[in-house]
Amino acid sequence: MVNEQNEKDVFVRAYTAMVLSRTFDKKIVMAQRQGRIGFYTPSIGQEATQVGLSMALDHDDVIFQYYRDVALMIHRGVPIEVILDQIMGNAEDESKGRQMPSHYTAKKYNFMSVQSPVATNLPLAVGAAYALRYQKKNTVVVATFGDGSTSTPDFHAAMNLAAVFNLPVIFLCENNGWAISLPTEKQTKVEISEKAAAYGMKGIKVDGNNFIETYKATMEAVERARSGKGPTLIDAISFRMGAHSTSDDPSKYRSQTVEEGSEKDPITVAEEQLKSLGYLNDSLIAKIKEESTKMVNDKFDIQEKIPAPVPSTMFDDVYAEKNWIIKEEEDDIL
Amino acid sequence: MVQALNSTLDHIMSGDNSVILLGEDIGKDGGVFRVTEGLQAKYGEERVIDTPLVELGIVGMSVGMSLMGVKAIPEIQFQDFIYTAFDQIINQMAKMRYRSGGGFTLPMVLRTPYGGGIKGGLYHSQSGEAYFAHTAGLVVVTPSNPYDAKGLLISSVESPDPVIFLEPKRLYRAAKIEVPDEDYRVKIGEAARPMEGDDLTIITYGAMVPTVLNTVKKNNLNADVLDLRTLLPMDVNAIISSAKKTGRVVIVHEAPRTLGMGAEISALISERAIEYLYAPILRVTGPDIPFPYRLEDYYMPGETRIMKAVKRVMEFR
Repeated sequence: MVNEQNEKDVFVRAYTAMVLSRTFDKKIVMAQRQGRIGFYTPSIGQEATQVGLSMALDHDDVIFQYYRDVALMIHRGVPIEVILDQIMGNAEDESKGRQMPSHYTAKKYNFMSVQSPVATNLPLAVGAAYALRYQKKNTVVVATFGDGSTSTPDFHAAMNLAAVFNLPVIFLCENNGWAISLPTEKQTKVEISEKAAAYGMKGIKVDGNNFIETYKATMEAVERARSGKGPTLIDAISFRMGAHSTSDDPSKYRSQTVEEGSEKDPITVAEEQLKSLGYLNDSLIAKIKEESTKMVNDKFDIQEKIPAPVPSTMFDDVYAEKNWIIKEEEDDIL
Repeated sequence: MVQALNSTLDHIMSGDNSVILLGEDIGKDGGVFRVTEGLQAKYGEERVIDTPLVELGIVGMSVGMSLMGVKAIPEIQFQDFIYTAFDQIINQMAKMRYRSGGGFTLPMVLRTPYGGGIKGGLYHSQSGEAYFAHTAGLVVVTPSNPYDAKGLLISSVESPDPVIFLEPKRLYRAAKIEVPDEDYRVKIGEAARPMEGDDLTIITYGAMVPTVLNTVKKNNLNADVLDLRTLLPMDVNAIISSAKKTGRVVIVHEAPRTLGMGAEISALISERAIEYLYAPILRVTGPDIPFPYRLEDYYMPGETRIMKAVKRVMEFR
């Protein structure tokens, strides 16, 4: 939690994570264009939402994240190497190169394993919260998802179950305005935060471009969860500044954009905030950006040299022990 | 079988505080088939949860619970209602271990009654086992008697892998046999051979086991009968050794024929023992139609159809 003494450190660390995430995303999008990685879903435009969320959480809190949460991971302390290993699908990757890029697992940091089918992580978060409360742990469970996820049956199921069982869950909608090509106004007829009322749950709409506001809103939800007052739905509004993924060309379906460095860029917003608080100045900002670029470039080059997992690993971990079917198929193929 | 399942769940819950049951009407009501009767009164509402009516939520919550070290035993009231949870089963439950590189595991057991013969019509009679047996990452079991129900349930709860536990509901109140009080296990992946014979092999499982056994007895067949008990992974050694011994195989299941378990069994035998066969492998199955209410007796494989296939296999030259 932020207090006056450490506010400067906490805010500068938050800003640094946002910059590192942005730098990382731009590097990976570039690397994809160079054919050095296969695919990527950048978080560009959502850094403030993710960092604001992370600031309010403890290490023991459990996150069921989705495939666009790199700033969240970075701020929570997941090393860049771990993120790169997953994107490259190399032999060091926690999921052993099995998942396409952006589908992270980071058990040590209480990041669960990312799935593609949207919102299917939400009921899991509810079950995890139930189990943790049963085990008498004062842990908060967070599920992140995009605005498109709010149309799914899993969203409805999870919201209702969390409310009925009064569980310590935070549903954080990273509302970036777009579900691939569909704008939020064609996704739903009401404000996403208003949906909470239908379940008997607190709903909060927050400026997801503002990490301090997102942090405060999340703190409110965390306090509610830890004091047994139940779940919260947070609608954090930002803008997806990049494409849905490296396989997508947004110029086909949208004319509006948010330029990097413009007043709607969450990093610009953070810079203005921290400058006016006296925590940052232009030379510090330049230094943070420079260090981020060097770090990302260096680490990318190192991790890129790690080879692919050995072929036999693809037959592992389907079960605790291979059954005869998998053994036979492995022998046949390798 | 209901009694065996109920007392086994009771026994499992009394010995392990980390076990939680959840499902629709399983608490106060004891489940629509009474499998969980009395358990909520004994273990409380927190451990025997009456959930809202949402199958995907029941399965999804169970996955989340299991990730945190709770052993969830969800019940889906009828297998016919499981399909809204299919995404959770296929994409979360079955893939968690693999996609987390072995870091996250799911020791959960999803129980659900399946099959016809109780006048349930289209939506209370389905046999969807092949959907699950087609999914790597799942274990699929189905007992055919109370003894195996207990032994398989204990093994399933102890399994480090997620299990789909299919309960043939037609046998819930059939065949009263003595079930020992003490703990025992029926090993996952091991078929039973309730009858030994040399003339032909009949491979079956679930609710069709008693039907096959009665047919064999009544017609004095010298048949090797295999009760698979585990559908994924099947006991290939038992299947192949019996096929080699008799050279004549009939497969009986209630689920529709096309791409049912019989197709896989038949392919396994063709690949490994075709030179031992005296006759084509025949399947006696439910037809490829939805399950009819009033005419279910015509749908369910019975003695007449089984004997027709047996005759064809025995007389083939």
